[in-house]
Amino acid sequence: MSEIRRRTPLHTRKPLEAPGGAARIAELPFLGKLVLRVDPQAGSKAVEAATGVPLPAEACTATGDADTAILWIGPDEFWVITPRDGETAAAAALEQGLAGLHHQVADIGSYYTAIEIAGPRAREMLMKLTMLDVDARAFSAGQVAGSIFAAAQAYLWQVTGDDQPGGPAFRLFVRRSMADYMWCLLAEAGFEWGMPRQTPVGGETWRLER
Amino acid sequence: MFLITCPYCGTRDQSEFSNAGEAHVARPEKPEDLSDEEWADFVFLRNNPKGLFAERWIHTAGCRRFFNMLRNTATDEILAVYKVGETPPRVSTAEPATPSGEAPIGSGNDAVKVERPEGGE
Repeated sequence: MSEIRRRTPLHTRKPLEAPGGAARIAELPFLGKLVLRVDPQAGSKAVEAATGVPLPAEACTATGDADTAILWIGPDEFWVITPRDGETAAAAALEQGLAGLHHQVADIGSYYTAIEIAGPRAREMLMKLTMLDVDARAFSAGQVAGSIFAAAQAYLWQVTGDDQPGGPAFRLFVRRSMADYMWCLLAEAGFEWGMPRQTPVGGETWRLER
Repeated sequence: MFLITCPYCGTRDQSEFSNAGEAHVARPEKPEDLSDEEWADFVFLRNNPKGLFAERWIHTAGCRRFFNMLRNTATDEILAVYKVGETPPRVSTAEPATPSGEAPIGSGNDAVKVERPEGGE
């Protein structure tokens, strides 16, 4: 029997850190990601019973913690984030809990990957790539937003607050075909603080800094 | 550069949104009873006014939901944003001057050539 191997979209990349801990980026491989479509009023109790995390009550927010969380994506659309290899059990629990309700659970774990961007300069790195307002007054811990980062659509989630030691931590969920592009652009955005530049697999050339 | 207020997500940059054509185009209840002309009218023909216009937009990069917008196509002023299925709110806007005040073709900025309502603003 052949060995089963799986590779993340960024398996060739090693975590990067700017000197002095100004910013760091790392891929979070194989996080479980499920799309949950359900009417939040009808399904909130069942979802909380199945996952242990309540549905977000407010738009553009997340509930739960860094391991298991539910992200608000649309008025009837949520992402359930689980630890590595936790998505199958979570999907089964959701299917069981929501039986009889109009709903959909889809596994998108291998379609998106998560890049963690952390450090005191993480916010400024993101500001270089997006028109989304990621100033600390507008975007704080527990907030989620879909937007365009450079040329790629992605969902941004701030996991920990700015008061944490080591600065805030963000997770950027990006499609796997855009993951390498996004990785290299994030490294380029951190170049100002000494993050090493990365060479894109696709051969693109760009310079955010002159 | 415009800011558009999504009724679900709040105010975001225009680049996150896509236009989806005229709003409130109702599908005929009995398409089989229509003549070819009437069907072509429903499928292809859309209003393209200079002035107040109800359009559909979709928040492509965010929540991916359609919503409706009342926009002045002459000035690009966004007058109202409302969810699909809601009644459009009553708004008033400066109507473009036509035809005598029409900007000549190729003159550039049409936005300055609008008539202000009597006694308003």
